[in-house]
Amino acid sequence: MFSLFVMFGITQVQASSISVAVILSESSGSYQELSSQLRNSLPKDYAIRVVGFEEDIPTADLFVAVGMKAAEALAQKDKPTLNVLLPRAGFEKLKRVPSSSYSAIFMDQPMQRQLALINTILPNATSVGVLYETLPAELDSLRKLASTMHFDLREQKVDQQHPLAGALSDLLQESDVLLVLPDNNVYRSDTIRNILLETYRAQVPMVGLSASYVRAGALCAIYSTPQQIAYQAAEAIEDFATTGKLPAPQYTKEFDVSVNTQVARSLGVHVKDAVQLRVEVRRRQ
Amino acid sequence: MYRDLIFSRSFRFAVLISISSSVFAVEEIVSEQSYIQEFPVVLSASRLAQPISETPNAMTVLDRATIKASGFRNIADLFRLVPGMYVSNLNGYTPIVSYHGTTDNYSRRMQVLVDGRSVYLPPYSKVNWEDIPLLMEDIERVEVIRGPSAASHGSNSTQGVINIITRDASASNGVRASITQGEGGISDVSASFGRSGEQLDYRLSLGRRSDNGYHTPELNDDNATRIFNWRSNYHPNGSDSFDVQFGHSEAVRGEGVLRRSTDPFREVSSSNDFQQVSWSRTQNSGDEFKVQYSHTSSTRLDNKLSSVYPKLEIFTQRHDIEFQHNFELTSSNRFVWGAGFRNDEVEADYWFTNKPPTLKQTRVFAHDEWRITPATVMNMGTMLEDDGMGHRNASPRLSLNYHMTPQHTFRMSSSVAYRSPAILEEYANSQPYTGYVKAFSKGGLSPEKMFSKEVGYIGEFSSLGLTIDSRIYSDHLNGLIWIDPVLNSTMTDLNASAKNIYSVEYKGWESSVNYRWSDEGNLIFNFSRQVTSCSEFAYPTEFFTTFPSPMVGQKVAADFYKYLSRCPNMTPFDSASLLLTQQFGGDMSFSTGFYYQGEMRVLDAGPVQTPMRRVDIKITKSFGSLEKRGGGEVALVMQNVFQDKYSDYINVAALTELLFDRRAYLTATIRF
Repeated sequence: MFSLFVMFGITQVQASSISVAVILSESSGSYQELSSQLRNSLPKDYAIRVVGFEEDIPTADLFVAVGMKAAEALAQKDKPTLNVLLPRAGFEKLKRVPSSSYSAIFMDQPMQRQLALINTILPNATSVGVLYETLPAELDSLRKLASTMHFDLREQKVDQQHPLAGALSDLLQESDVLLVLPDNNVYRSDTIRNILLETYRAQVPMVGLSASYVRAGALCAIYSTPQQIAYQAAEAIEDFATTGKLPAPQYTKEFDVSVNTQVARSLGVHVKDAVQLRVEVRRRQ
Repeated sequence: MYRDLIFSRSFRFAVLISISSSVFAVEEIVSEQSYIQEFPVVLSASRLAQPISETPNAMTVLDRATIKASGFRNIADLFRLVPGMYVSNLNGYTPIVSYHGTTDNYSRRMQVLVDGRSVYLPPYSKVNWEDIPLLMEDIERVEVIRGPSAASHGSNSTQGVINIITRDASASNGVRASITQGEGGISDVSASFGRSGEQLDYRLSLGRRSDNGYHTPELNDDNATRIFNWRSNYHPNGSDSFDVQFGHSEAVRGEGVLRRSTDPFREVSSSNDFQQVSWSRTQNSGDEFKVQYSHTSSTRLDNKLSSVYPKLEIFTQRHDIEFQHNFELTSSNRFVWGAGFRNDEVEADYWFTNKPPTLKQTRVFAHDEWRITPATVMNMGTMLEDDGMGHRNASPRLSLNYHMTPQHTFRMSSSVAYRSPAILEEYANSQPYTGYVKAFSKGGLSPEKMFSKEVGYIGEFSSLGLTIDSRIYSDHLNGLIWIDPVLNSTMTDLNASAKNIYSVEYKGWESSVNYRWSDEGNLIFNFSRQVTSCSEFAYPTEFFTTFPSPMVGQKVAADFYKYLSRCPNMTPFDSASLLLTQQFGGDMSFSTGFYYQGEMRVLDAGPVQTPMRRVDIKITKSFGSLEKRGGGEVALVMQNVFQDKYSDYINVAALTELLFDRRAYLTATIRF
């Protein structure tokens, strides 16, 4: 009975005394949203400080790096850090070995989920097109998965010989769906117009990376919201507070699916609503 | 120390770049930016076509693949692939396209738009198909609304709307050149050059098309048309887009009938221009604003009477401006409203001794697509128009589409549409020439009024690759405007005026089946059956005239009943078309078209058109895809393979039939 009390007491003490420094790469939109959601998800007695990555790093028991720039700034310091709002490829580039005090929650989705989404929303699709200028880090796992899931992966590189417009129309001719892989040189706000118009002309739906893609005209996207990431980060932080260890680097457990129903209708894709899709993807992945 | 740091960093950059720029790019790319960047709305409501199971009217879409497989060289011929559509070449040289009939040598009851610009021209309100400054290769798709759509497209879309959508400037990259040679003097060349950039896309197309028409020595129907077309799009940011188009066509066509002094062999030249500018802005809320201005002009010069009379020149021009606003009224209501103004002008000394007034038309429209339940869509809209001749009309439309399952959809639709009198019908006052009937319009015409009801079914079985579209309809056209012979002022002769004198009822059913059994094979089948019945709406002006002679009234009455009795036969009872496409081994493809049309006679036609059973074939050998650089193909087309002796539309007494002979032509196209 006594020992139980002591254990309980220790846990209480550890949990309440933890201080967390949230380091933001930028102070805009998603970063702010994530940090405020994180604050809401953590116990009220946690000491939480939010600073920009260029500011002086305060002392804290645990650091949460939000975004790549903050992650890079903290990678050089030997401090317990949880990285959020960065893709897996970005985390792996940081050259600091993951450990019980250095971990991450990736913002990108595992390829399995992406392909499960394609399977669900476009059951007749067999060939998946991907377009890139720089070899995406995701490509290896995508190649393996595509073959096990019986997808025919069509890759098209954009370069001097194959400028974007031509490369895209070539790719669309042999693809049932265009899967967006992150590439800032291909998918930019000034290229998205012609890319989407071309996909629509070719009647090939696009699977985007975020709700913004869907609003612009992609058929659908699977992604995690800052709220979902914050919720999972809060769990990891509480784990750290109790056990002193961060969970291993992981993808988000929760995700959203967003569908552009008008695009779907116009392309003749009969979609279930986004909630049903999410359930289905969860079941299949 | 800072300076050192900066130096060393930029030094490292330089080394990295010189070793491998892509390594550097990797460094830059991997971040969260791809996942959080904001994009403008690109595929906005107005860019997205309503699926055929949700449109308020029956619709046929002819896409690029279909257009290509058909092998046709002329835009007008494409409509043979639309159920219920009548296509013919009047006297060999004038393509006539009309839906559900009721045409004469001016097909007046269907609106034709190219990228939203009407090419249905005053003064006759006809479409000069040959003169549209547009190459077939530049057509993205053709949407044909079967049935009145005045609520969306204004008066004159009384029986249907043809909406030609040209390829977006961003779709063209590189050079495409094509040459066609064949029997009957067929000789076409075309080339286009396009470039798609980050902010500016453009395309330039040039072409020439010519042939010797029909193999009929009695008719002079050689023709040659040159076409120039430019389309560019400037999109400086995500939300604004400026589209600029202009084009020019010049045609020389033979006209005339052998040994007919009033219609001698001669050359008619025509020149057509258009300029079009539109600006659209899409907001992040999904709201979209669009303003479009277009100007079209055409000059037609006919040396018909040059030996005795001055040259016959007809000049027409139109200015049109329209504003449109698309937005989501609620999550289940998509709304569009807008207003437009049109200015039509014609100068033709021959037809109009006094220049007719310039018509200033105004229009306001609104349309709502209301998704009542996920499976029920109601489309409701109306257009209010002032046609500039003193008529104000409201053209409402209401339709309900119900998806019983995602595969089965039923549609019920009802609408009212008007056709404004053509300038010629209302204001003609031609010069008196020997051998010609003087056209002299008394004016005071009312718009023709169409009341239409239909029930449709759409079956979409995507796993089978099958789409079925079927409908039954009943359309009433009241007050059809037709020739009204009127005594001239000296009571010596009858002049041609126009009057609302007939009413026509069309009842029928139409079906389209599209079956795609694999990526290599496709079948389109269309069938239409229609019963047309006609009745008096009003008697002609001189119907009861007995002075100066009872013969006048008798002749007028006889003509009135002659056309009334012919009227039910002006559309074929049955018509059908079929287009089968099959690819072999990736580089060969074969397509065949079958076109059937029952016996019929256009209201003012001379002889009856005998049934048509025409078969066309096309064989294509490709060397890489034409959509890709370095691609090319050679195609052989043979039209009327089995020499079916059907007659086209003629209204000259000298001929009893106009046969379309078998003809073959070869087309070679390259892309680079």
